[in-house]
Amino acid sequence: MVTNESSTSAGTTGNSSGSSSSSSATKPSTDIDGLLAGAGYKVKSSELCQVAQQLERLETVMVNSPADISQIASDTVHYNPSDLASWVDSLLSEFNQPPLSLQSDIQHFPDIIAGTAGIPTVQNYNYLTEQSLCQQQQQLTVVTAMEEDSGIRLVHMLMTSAELVQRGELALAGSLFEDMKGLLTRVNTGCGIGKVVGYFIDALSRRILGVGGSICGSAYENEILYHHFYEACPYLKFAHFTANQAILEAFDGHDCVHVVDFNLMHGLQWPALIQALALRPGGPPLLRLTGIGPPSPDGRDSLREIGLRLAELARSVNIRFAFRGVAASRLEDVKPWMLQVSPKEALAVNSIMQLHKLLGSDSARNSPMEMVLGWIRNLNPKIMTVVEQETNHNQPEFLDRFTTALHYYSTMFDSLEGCSLQPEKALAEIYIQREIVNVVCYEGSARVERHEPLAKWRSRLRGAGFRPLHLGSNAFRQASMLLTLFSAEGYSVEENDGSLTLGWHSRPLIAASAWQALPLSDLHVINHHTNDINNIL
Amino acid sequence: MQQPDIKPLQEKNKRPRFFINDHIDILIEILKRLDGRSLCVAACVCRLWCTLARNDSLWEELCFRHVMSSPPPPTVRPVVVALGGYKRLYMVCLRPVLSRLAELKSRRVVSSRRAWTRDELQLSLSLFCIDYYERLGGVDERLGECDSSTSSLMFLCKPVNV
Repeated sequence: MVTNESSTSAGTTGNSSGSSSSSSATKPSTDIDGLLAGAGYKVKSSELCQVAQQLERLETVMVNSPADISQIASDTVHYNPSDLASWVDSLLSEFNQPPLSLQSDIQHFPDIIAGTAGIPTVQNYNYLTEQSLCQQQQQLTVVTAMEEDSGIRLVHMLMTSAELVQRGELALAGSLFEDMKGLLTRVNTGCGIGKVVGYFIDALSRRILGVGGSICGSAYENEILYHHFYEACPYLKFAHFTANQAILEAFDGHDCVHVVDFNLMHGLQWPALIQALALRPGGPPLLRLTGIGPPSPDGRDSLREIGLRLAELARSVNIRFAFRGVAASRLEDVKPWMLQVSPKEALAVNSIMQLHKLLGSDSARNSPMEMVLGWIRNLNPKIMTVVEQETNHNQPEFLDRFTTALHYYSTMFDSLEGCSLQPEKALAEIYIQREIVNVVCYEGSARVERHEPLAKWRSRLRGAGFRPLHLGSNAFRQASMLLTLFSAEGYSVEENDGSLTLGWHSRPLIAASAWQALPLSDLHVINHHTNDINNIL
Repeated sequence: MQQPDIKPLQEKNKRPRFFINDHIDILIEILKRLDGRSLCVAACVCRLWCTLARNDSLWEELCFRHVMSSPPPPTVRPVVVALGGYKRLYMVCLRPVLSRLAELKSRRVVSSRRAWTRDELQLSLSLFCIDYYERLGGVDERLGECDSSTSSLMFLCKPVNV
């Protein structure tokens, strides 16, 4: 299945006649593009972009002025069509060309269905050509047919090497990398498919060469990257606003409330909740916030700093507020006594993309997931908000994981193209890149990014003694409004049996749901099916 | 040269001259009913108008005008004032939010007299609060930009890519 993609250009020598563009007409030089030469045309690789632009102009002109075409068609062929560049130029000079309109449509490339089994369909990759324009001048960056072809072949090669990795033939997989890197130079890695494939090639090569460990950053770095990911795209904002709305509704009527955040970071979720609680009819409650985060190594206590900031905000808006930080490098290290939950208060547990990290590879009886869900359930929270990536990156077979990840992150990068904030966008991409490396490169307990779809989470949480809470129309309206504020128009919110899913062009990316602990009496019913639960978990 | 002077002098004696700046209460009543853009323009007229237009209660009127039929609950004002005031709320959050939403819905030039809903106001308030929180922080590396919008609201300032 490994296709040899090198150029076939055996029979081009006979076509040249007086054309000055090729210096060595006897054999295909490195200057002449090999693939076109195989089709009988001689174009310099350096001129590919220009020739493509000229061809586009020619097409525009021909479509717009059909009367002139008949004149051209009836003439004998004066020009040498194999020398594509000058042929197109001469044709264009015959027409009275209108100034080139600089509007470029977003070009949608059709679904490409690979013939051989095992390589799944590659979905639409939107080339947002406008995004690659320079700021001042509007240069048309035309995605040439050549580039599209290279992009498709890159994906095929990537899938091939992934399959080889799965079969354990690492040496063969490694040998493909040279070809892939060569192809990568022909593709625009600034946007679109080139960028995504570049990251995946990098991740796969790390796996093969075993250098994956170098990508992990410090907790401080991760916080910065997370912050920029928050700014650059709406996923985290959607998660925060939706969870806050659900928590706000659950806290209605309670005067002592306690929120446990499984991943505090910079605490960007909580100002909006603090403000909403301050303005709620009936007056603000006493708010306690417990933030869990990784320990900071170099003496600074980042949890405490964030707590102080939030406390200052709460003080400004006159809310009684107490903060507690719990430093733990893994969620399973947290014990319920650390949270100091009082039975009189209403508890909300908030998990933004943290639960999947508990899905370790071992399916032992006391798996971390079971343990954590157990103590959450025993704390009897009023609400537990769960936001997770809507994809399956935890399949046992490497190739399945790889393929799903390729689709998922392509969609995510596609949506990121609309962002014009730098350096937020660049750092957000690094954040996503680290996720990709974790999914592709690592195994066992080091692979923490074990995303699973909402359906699986639903059955898992149901089995652990939770029942779903519907998120409601307020949350939906707020999410829709939030998304329309973002620059790219491809985002969509969908309601799915009480939970909300954010997607890009109707491909789901992130799902938010809310849960409540079942009363203890119902727990007996669930315990009878512990065998089934273990299978799910 | 006397003749041209007589007529306006006679006119002056017949009608009392009216300077709006002598009647600040009337001026405030008028300014209260202006939309955001007009209020900013009014602030450029003279120093008195500038001082009056900076009064936060005018902006409070503006923010709640379309949303509440009755005056807003008294808890709202201290919160908004603590977070930076109504004028800042309007300029930094409400106005960009409205113009972005209107742009995408109708694609026409945004009418500054457009009414907004309670939801839009609440969303603006939340974003305003996040903005305040980010400006509090020293963790953010953009320490120099403390007066302009912080990063979380920058997406509202950038042009829409349609």
